[in-house]
Amino acid sequence: MPPIRIWKPEDFRLDPSRPLYEQFVEQVRAMIAKGELESGTRLPSVREAAGSLRVNPTTIMKTYQELERLGLIVTHRGQGTFVTESEATIVNSRRELAREAVARLEDTARSIGLTLDQLLALAREKE
Amino acid sequence: MAYANDLQNGFSRTGSVKAPAIRCREVTLRAKKKTILDRVSFEVPAGSLAGLLGPNGAGKSSLMRILTGMVPPDSGQAELFCAPAGPERLGVLSFLPDRGQLPPYLGAGEWLQLAAGLYPDWSEARKEDLIVKLDVDPGQRIGSMSRGQEARLQLLTCLSRQAPIVILDEPFAGVDMVSRESIAQAVVGELADGERTFLIATHDIREMENLFDRIVLIGGGRLLGCHDVEELRASGRSVESCYRDVFA
Repeated sequence: MPPIRIWKPEDFRLDPSRPLYEQFVEQVRAMIAKGELESGTRLPSVREAAGSLRVNPTTIMKTYQELERLGLIVTHRGQGTFVTESEATIVNSRRELAREAVARLEDTARSIGLTLDQLLALAREKE
Repeated sequence: MAYANDLQNGFSRTGSVKAPAIRCREVTLRAKKKTILDRVSFEVPAGSLAGLLGPNGAGKSSLMRILTGMVPPDSGQAELFCAPAGPERLGVLSFLPDRGQLPPYLGAGEWLQLAAGLYPDWSEARKEDLIVKLDVDPGQRIGSMSRGQEARLQLLTCLSRQAPIVILDEPFAGVDMVSRESIAQAVVGELADGERTFLIATHDIREMENLFDRIVLIGGGRLLGCHDVEELRASGRSVESCYRDVFA
């Protein structure tokens, strides 16, 4: 049985003005994409996670529901919840994260009147 | 779906299916010429955690005295699971008063034995479990405890009862950080089981803001706001910013 990853409050950076579960989902997705949270790692139960993170159990429940919907975690009855072992799912997730990051960068470029390519070119210019 | 069982067992806390654990309708309390509570109306769904927020003197303690049956409202209704609050409802709620004092000459274990004899809904099994979770030393004399140690013992006493509604008045006042964290963790554990409803009056928004399902803001005896915290955050506000908007 693989060891259980215990969540600690220091694992996450939370903005109290945004839904917490969205932030948990984003940050767990990133951990999985980075390989910081390995395939097959066993995750704590909703109750254990809520306790160690000191957040409302409903928040964790929504987080796990969304991660399961994304296919990033799977629950095996009687055994627990695990990070997916599907390499394809993780690659897709990484691609999705990359797309989102680029979209944010394009917004930044637009806010100063540039396209993404212009932004990158400008940043690389030597003075 | 894996969490369907959780939804059935109490995580569906929208309040539409279950009766609200606490409901106040136009609750008013007067003393001589002064209005202490002025037509306060709000609900706390069963199985949820509501924060009662507001400055000192806002009327929070008076509201809790009404809910715990110590004093009746002058008008309006205060209900616990759809029946009027009153001294005969003590079996349905567990109350931890502000700076409530336990007998200093008793050891923690002796106090817990006394409490077990006092409350018909006492659970030895819960007590044993919580003694570990709240790190209480049964041999320690209450008079020699720090504020944090005493607060943990008080919460232990409250939660070893099986009463479905738990009302805490400033459980973190003067309590050290580690004790505050284990108190918050114990409350989370109770919420996770889906069988308890909490109403917590506190100034310690930082420790609790990730736990509140709902916040009820009381100022000058009036209800100044009642917000579902998820909805608050979805609209870009934090519990703290909401408090500041109302009270600053």
